[in-house]
Amino acid sequence: MKTIVVAVVGNPNSGKSTLINAMCGTNLKVGNWPGVTVEKKTAILRLNNLIVHLVDLPGIYSLNPCTQEEEIARDFLVKEKPDLIINVVDSTNFERNLYLTIQLLELGIPVIMALNVYDEAKKKELEFNIDKLENWLGIRVIPTVATKKDGIKEVIGAINEMGLNSTSPKKLTYRDDVEKAVKIVEDALKVANYPIFQKYPVRWVTLKLLEGDKFVMKTMGLKGDEPFLKDAKSIFNKFEGHDEIHSMFAEIRYKIANKIAKEILRNRGRQGRDLTERIDRVVLNRFLALPVFLVSMWFVFKLAFDFSTPISDWIEFVISGFILKWATYILELLHSPNWLISLTTDGVIQGVGAVIVFIPPISVMMFMITLLEGSGYLARVAFVMDKLMHSIGLHGKSFIPMLLGFGCNVPSIYATRILETERDKKLTAFLVPLMSCGARLPVYVIFINTFFQSHGATVLWSLYMLGIFMAIVLGFVLKKTLYKGSVPFFVMELPPYRVPVLRDLVFQTWQKLKHFVVKAGTYILAMSVIMWFLLNTPYGIEKHNSILGKTGRTLSPVFEPLGFGTWEASASLVAGLIAKEVIISTMVQIYGLDGPVEKRNGNSKLSQDLVEVGVSFVIALKDAFLNLISLFKVKALSTEEDEKENPLMGRLRDAFTPLSAYSFLVFVLFYWPCVIVGIAMKNEFGSFKIYGQLMLVHSLVAWLMAVLVYQGGKILGF
Amino acid sequence: MKLSDLKVGEKAKIVSIHGKGITKRRLMDMGIVSGEILIVEKVAPLGDPVDIVVKGYHLSLRKLETEEIEVEVLS
Ligand SMILES: Nc1nc2c(ncn2[C@@H]2O[C@H](COP(=O)(O)OP(=O)(O)OP(=O)(O)O)[C@@H](O)[C@H]2O)c(=O)[nH]1
Ligand SMILES: [Mg+2]
Repeated sequence: MKTIVVAVVGNPNSGKSTLINAMCGTNLKVGNWPGVTVEKKTAILRLNNLIVHLVDLPGIYSLNPCTQEEEIARDFLVKEKPDLIINVVDSTNFERNLYLTIQLLELGIPVIMALNVYDEAKKKELEFNIDKLENWLGIRVIPTVATKKDGIKEVIGAINEMGLNSTSPKKLTYRDDVEKAVKIVEDALKVANYPIFQKYPVRWVTLKLLEGDKFVMKTMGLKGDEPFLKDAKSIFNKFEGHDEIHSMFAEIRYKIANKIAKEILRNRGRQGRDLTERIDRVVLNRFLALPVFLVSMWFVFKLAFDFSTPISDWIEFVISGFILKWATYILELLHSPNWLISLTTDGVIQGVGAVIVFIPPISVMMFMITLLEGSGYLARVAFVMDKLMHSIGLHGKSFIPMLLGFGCNVPSIYATRILETERDKKLTAFLVPLMSCGARLPVYVIFINTFFQSHGATVLWSLYMLGIFMAIVLGFVLKKTLYKGSVPFFVMELPPYRVPVLRDLVFQTWQKLKHFVVKAGTYILAMSVIMWFLLNTPYGIEKHNSILGKTGRTLSPVFEPLGFGTWEASASLVAGLIAKEVIISTMVQIYGLDGPVEKRNGNSKLSQDLVEVGVSFVIALKDAFLNLISLFKVKALSTEEDEKENPLMGRLRDAFTPLSAYSFLVFVLFYWPCVIVGIAMKNEFGSFKIYGQLMLVHSLVAWLMAVLVYQGGKILGF
Repeated sequence: MKLSDLKVGEKAKIVSIHGKGITKRRLMDMGIVSGEILIVEKVAPLGDPVDIVVKGYHLSLRKLETEEIEVEVLS
């Protein structure tokens, strides 16, 4: 069977990834901001007598890349030469998209145009004359609504047809003088037989040479000052006021785009303000923009707290009231030795359980971030924050990877590819770990529930904002020291607001969450077992004399000025070097509950327990939704719960004061970014050097900040 | 007159783009070409960047870039 490679190319945010998801049922990352896709990804589509490799590429505005992600797309098109291009065009932004199409046509690769976002174009009363457009360009044009799968069948049909016998697009003629210059170069090139012509049309190579494209010149071994090039360029009268021929070409191409658009597109819509502009009048208002951002973040945390608490409590109940009980029962039934019972219950079940309990708040956070990405607000935050970021030598776009870091820092490291320079990428990556990721949430939640229950959301919010604040301070210092350099330009489009598609919301949230769930079942599980051994060898030893206990005791003086110079706290922090969730799974073991917690009481039956688990789940769901509703009322519904307190909380209350607890949280927020971030940095920047710097700088920041909080707090009388 | 001198709500026609290199290239690739009409929509809370509408879409630019764009105000 024949296999073809199809590149999906288009402007950023035109719906390329959505289109591939619609065609192949994949879950490629989508979002309503430019720069979601930062690497090429292949999806496979099997047709009757054709296998299609669809390659999703980062969005580009032209074939002259400015950022690393754009370079990836250009390189794929130019170096690997796909068999077919699907050009995804945002029909509400037709002229600018057509500017790219014109350049794609010059590549000599067959093109199919998906005229996407056709629903919004209709709403704006834009009318396209598709037949005329097809004639102009000599390619198939198919209106699509990728989010609703409209036109997908037609696109697949067109791929099938073209894949079996493709036709090259028409040649678009430029102005007479350009054509004259092209002719001179073409004639000169035809004499010598360059290998590049096996892949690319002479015309494209010629245009690129005239533009002074470095990549093409290098491939051909030309310098740009050859007599025939000079001759050709002399035709243009001083490039019409531009000092580069490239700029003149850009204008010529836009003129063609403009001409085509005028002929095939009619705008019957009124020129009034659309919904996006009306929302932006408030959201981007000079005085309201910052408060709106801060308040909406507060709501995110409030929601993460209130909605998930009942469900977390239920999971807690299932683990310690059900699984633990029956696991102990079964192990005892099998006459297992005591150490094995302890390893299974204290080590594995409690350790992993301590992390699983926090899946609900993490899910809510991931959901909110997906919503942020899908709505179009993310790009606005970049707009609002630009000036502030400018002061630390970055620009607003850097804020995008940083905010995404609230979910998980690892994808944020890759998201720095949307930035223009290597320095910007590194500096942003350096600041990303200050953004509090989902893995730190379990630590916050358990301490907040213990010490700050009545102001949960506010305390949580304060930690995240402290992260942003520190990023700005540290960024300022780094700009003056390690990462000097100038700020590149900031040119960013603001997409319209959109209501995210439910399917995308669910799958994109799950994609983000999956990482944490898998980690709990593998990494955290392994760490819990290791920590159990470090705490219990030789078996029966007192915990503070175990290996972990001794390590903790040695280190504890370091944490004395921070307010938590105990071996327990120090040992948990050491364990957390691997991943921050491990702090909690280790604390459970350390502060644990010597001996099996709750013996199975003789009279309850498995079936009864199962029923109770089921019933309590329904109640938990009900409570969660009640909390959600009460969020939007002035007065919260009082939760008259019979606070069955988590035993860990009691122990924490003995070991910490509210002040030292907050200091501990600040330390956890800042210290030592996890190993997986280190690996991502190695992949992105080629060495562990930045990670090394990160570990030192961030740990130092953590220590200083925690000292400041604790000592300052003491002086203030907390 | 420079684009940076325009007030919010003003409409202008692009006359030319100064500067060179990557910034100019990017601006032109995004449709900032001479003859094009643009409107200044809003200014960010901290005074920079500005949000302009060109070719029917929203584009944010910093002062540094708007100073490079020569325009002619339309009434
Ligand atoms: N109304 C409407 N929205 C669409 C359509 N296609 C895509 N979208 C939305 O447009 C946004 C961008 O979609 P993506 O698929 O991420 O765009 P992309 O071209 O892959 O973007 P980059 O990877 O950033 O270059 C998302 O919010 C989609 O839901 C469409 O046909 N109609
Ligand atoms: Mg994409």
